Amino acid sequence: MAIKRRTLLQAGAAFAAAIAAPSIVRAETKVWRVGASLPMTGPFATAGQLVAPAFAEFETVVNDNGGIGGIPIKIEVEDSGYIPKNALANFQRSLAGGDLHYYFGDSTGFMELVGPTLKGDQAVMMGSTSFASVLANPKERPYQYMAGPTYEDQFEILLRDVAAKGGKTVAFIYSDTEFGRDPIAHGRKIAGELGLKVVLEEVTKPAGADIESHVTKLAQANPDYALLQGYVTGVWPQLIGAARAFGLTTQFMGTFWAMEKVVADKVTDQAGPFLDGYQGVMPYRYFYDQENAPYYRELAAQKKAANPDFPGYVVTWELEGRLNLELWKKSMEMTLEANKQITADNLMASFRSIKDWDSGGFFGSPVTIKDHKIGQGRVYRYSADTKLFTPSSDWLTT
Amino acid sequence: MIIGEYKTDYAQDEGIWNTWAKKLGFLLALAVLLLIPFVANDYQLLMAGQIAIFVIAVVGLNVVVGYTGLMSLGHGAFFAIGAYTAVAIHQFFPHIFPLITLVISMVVAGFFGFLFGLPSLRVKGLYLAVATLSANFIVLFFIRQDWLEHFTGGRGGTETPNAYLFGTELVTNQQKYFLIVPITIVLFLFAQNLFRSRFGRALIAIRDNDHSAEILGISLFNYKLKSFVISAAYCGAAGTLWAYFFPAILPEDFGLNMSITLLICLVAGGMGRSLGPIFGTILILMVPEILKMVAFYFSEGNASAQIYFSPIRDIVFGLMIIGFLIFEPMGLVSIWDRFWRFISRWPFAK
Amino acid sequence: MGQFSQYVMNGIMNGSVYALIALGIVSIFKSTKVVNFAQGHVIMFGAYFYFTFAVMLPEATFMPDWVLKWEPEWLAGYKEGALMFSQKAAIAGWVNNVPRIILGLVGAVICNGLLGLLIERVFMRPLLGQSSFAMILCTIGLIWVLEGSASLIWTADVDQVPPLGPNFPIRFSLFGEQVFFFSASVVNFVLALLLFGSLMLVLRFTRSGVAIRATAEDQSTAYAMGINVPAVFSSAWVIASTTGAFAGAILASRNGLSPTLGLFGLSVLAIVLMGGLDSFLGVLIAAMMVGIFESLAQWQWGGEIAEIVPYVLVLIVILWRPNGLLGQAEIERI
Repeated sequence: MAIKRRTLLQAGAAFAAAIAAPSIVRAETKVWRVGASLPMTGPFATAGQLVAPAFAEFETVVNDNGGIGGIPIKIEVEDSGYIPKNALANFQRSLAGGDLHYYFGDSTGFMELVGPTLKGDQAVMMGSTSFASVLANPKERPYQYMAGPTYEDQFEILLRDVAAKGGKTVAFIYSDTEFGRDPIAHGRKIAGELGLKVVLEEVTKPAGADIESHVTKLAQANPDYALLQGYVTGVWPQLIGAARAFGLTTQFMGTFWAMEKVVADKVTDQAGPFLDGYQGVMPYRYFYDQENAPYYRELAAQKKAANPDFPGYVVTWELEGRLNLELWKKSMEMTLEANKQITADNLMASFRSIKDWDSGGFFGSPVTIKDHKIGQGRVYRYSADTKLFTPSSDWLTT
Repeated sequence: MIIGEYKTDYAQDEGIWNTWAKKLGFLLALAVLLLIPFVANDYQLLMAGQIAIFVIAVVGLNVVVGYTGLMSLGHGAFFAIGAYTAVAIHQFFPHIFPLITLVISMVVAGFFGFLFGLPSLRVKGLYLAVATLSANFIVLFFIRQDWLEHFTGGRGGTETPNAYLFGTELVTNQQKYFLIVPITIVLFLFAQNLFRSRFGRALIAIRDNDHSAEILGISLFNYKLKSFVISAAYCGAAGTLWAYFFPAILPEDFGLNMSITLLICLVAGGMGRSLGPIFGTILILMVPEILKMVAFYFSEGNASAQIYFSPIRDIVFGLMIIGFLIFEPMGLVSIWDRFWRFISRWPFAK
Repeated sequence: MGQFSQYVMNGIMNGSVYALIALGIVSIFKSTKVVNFAQGHVIMFGAYFYFTFAVMLPEATFMPDWVLKWEPEWLAGYKEGALMFSQKAAIAGWVNNVPRIILGLVGAVICNGLLGLLIERVFMRPLLGQSSFAMILCTIGLIWVLEGSASLIWTADVDQVPPLGPNFPIRFSLFGEQVFFFSASVVNFVLALLLFGSLMLVLRFTRSGVAIRATAEDQSTAYAMGINVPAVFSSAWVIASTTGAFAGAILASRNGLSPTLGLFGLSVLAIVLMGGLDSFLGVLIAAMMVGIFESLAQWQWGGEIAEIVPYVLVLIVILWRPNGLLGQAEIERI
């Protein structure tokens, strides 16, 4: 077939129209666009892949119930590989795709990287998986928040609990990462105030740590309590297991990311009941604690309806992601109710004004936002027999 | 190699743009580069800026790996040194002219290149790669230390300054583009020129056989170290621009991953060729992004689907690298060569 | 002194695991002149195969119950009255697991061996004759392929596997001070040394071992002498991947099983070069040295310094001996 100039021109025009079309269509159909970077590959793929389906479910459920203010939402999830630079590229790509009303980040590194660029028309309300203390700073990070207490708060809750239970000596064991170091300086200060003696500060690798040497040092210091920070799936189960096998009486305590029942259960199944008695701070209720948690009951019913094989447990990491989304939804509704335009500034203003909100069971007491965070949490204790974390303290606020 | 060029003296043969195709190509490239900031959105400029910065570093790596034949897995360290030097300078002189920062960073990184290069006199091949890799880790170790935290921000990284050009702060990616790309062009041309000189030919002789080169009167000590210094200075420049370009830096940015990415860019493009770094960097930085867009197109951002698309994307990227090594071991540049050979001989033999 | 020997022993235990990982890298290098950057990820596959055969398969409904939990009659008598976390309970718990541990190891070795063959045939063979640099980059490309495939096949969930040996502390006194080992670490240590030793014996005394050594010495001459060089290449990859299966099982039982397992291989690379790429003995010494110094540094200065110690050690050794501790210097001709 001979290509005439006319056909070529027509083809070119059609091609250009095809390229330009998505932006035209996007401008016409109004949706609330939400972007998210999750670590689906790389070192934290475990967490990313477990949390991801929740975003799809949230979108379906909200849209089935008429969206937010009658307008449907659209959640677009991308993989970051837990590399901040990649997450930034994802964020910029989302921004380039049209109006963006919320973004969910996957690491402290990304939140710090993107923080300074959030201004003017680039400003977007932004939650994340991180509880890093630097992010709870309304002045310098006006668009970023966290759905719980900071690591410093969590550490403080643990230390107060140790003091209340009559502990005298503590050890801090943490990974050599920003995540691991976050609350340590604050922890030292609080321990001093409470009269607790910090007998050991042990830095470990974030993965594949030298367990024997750590246990040897721990045995020499022999503290009443050992506080763990900066781990997600590894190191903490092995460390506790080795300490138990060795016969140490030290009690171990962890923070949010090292408090997952799924991980603890697998250790119990394959290696033995080593984690029995492990304690830690969890900002939320565990999913099986549904008595005072209507939101959890509803969620369980939804999941059961969508998937008859639903085993009845939702990981805490997913709960965190959901709470982030719920807080955004709440801010959206408040802003719409006040008849204000949906901008990042208005959303954050609504967010800051959340007071005595009934979270539906995530937290024990009504939620009030202070310093872009929710300073509540409770100490739980794991039992290898029942395979449940059960509360060992009241709801504590900081 | 393009044939069919009629030259009457050596001056023509030695010229940088010694063929019409090169002249035209360079002018076209300049025109496109000038056009990009006016048509591209923020995301595209982010990628363009990153590519421009990486090109500088890969051109630098090419000096050591491609032309001198020394393996290095430690160039991430020079990148880090450049970036952190810029941050430190801005603490004392917040409004310093960016080119001054650039030169200082290049000197500092060059000094570290001198240190890194010292083992190259004794150690060769992979052993050198691992020696430089170790040095890289040691540099990052110091950056993370608490007693340097005032300058480096320690483990948590640090926010980086914006460049001030004649009193205006360069904030948007578009503004930064106008700082980065001209520097990239200048540094690229300098490197290309280097290998038309006696110095460059000496390095190539060392790559081909260092003992023979020494017998011919090339001082290995002198040239290997100089090669490392130049290469490090390039990466230092890239680091400085990186610090200007991104709002924050973390020590982890500059580890083994960075060093390996630089190497892959170089090999994919073509080692020991001046255009190689440009092709390789564009390919290696853009392919994951394009794969992401493709995955996004099919999954529409659906979270559950992305669980499967993300690992597949990794597999495709890995297979692409392997495929390149199997089918185009000399890099993208060889495709480019074939294309031009075809054009210049057309309509005759292929 | 007792303290000192405690940490030295800890270091030796860790060093033996490093050595087991390094073994694969050396055996591939010796015969094919390729440094396998993806060895850590081959090991990760070994760990996942072990998980498949020791955890997933026994839980399947068609498997007899005794595979999942073996309760011979004498065991009930033995563990009567055993306290939680006591030596007796640990051994009894391990005996329960013995069938599936054996199943897991056998399955992992076979599957990983096949994986090694596959990698060699599909990815490495077409690159024969290319520069070793290209081959190394090919193994770097493999990292993405293996990581992505593992994530697709097994998902990225974190999993636990049964340890290879019972885990209880063995206490005794040395230089007047109490010291201890963990029995599971001793089992790992013995296993690693056995594998290392038997491989060295095979190389020295069997026909195929001689073929491998001859190929390592000079490829083209070996070819001319009638040695099937491609078969030698395959066998090198099979050796690396099967020992990698053991290394994977050990690593997974020590550190838990997750996609991060593969990263271990990259840190071992430095150890291999420190020992000398083509010397099994040198690499063994290097692995032990790094293990010991790491653990001593952890004792004296804590984790930050311990992390950097291997690299400082490698740098010093390489500067002192440019071909590693016991590596052969390459003879260069002009």
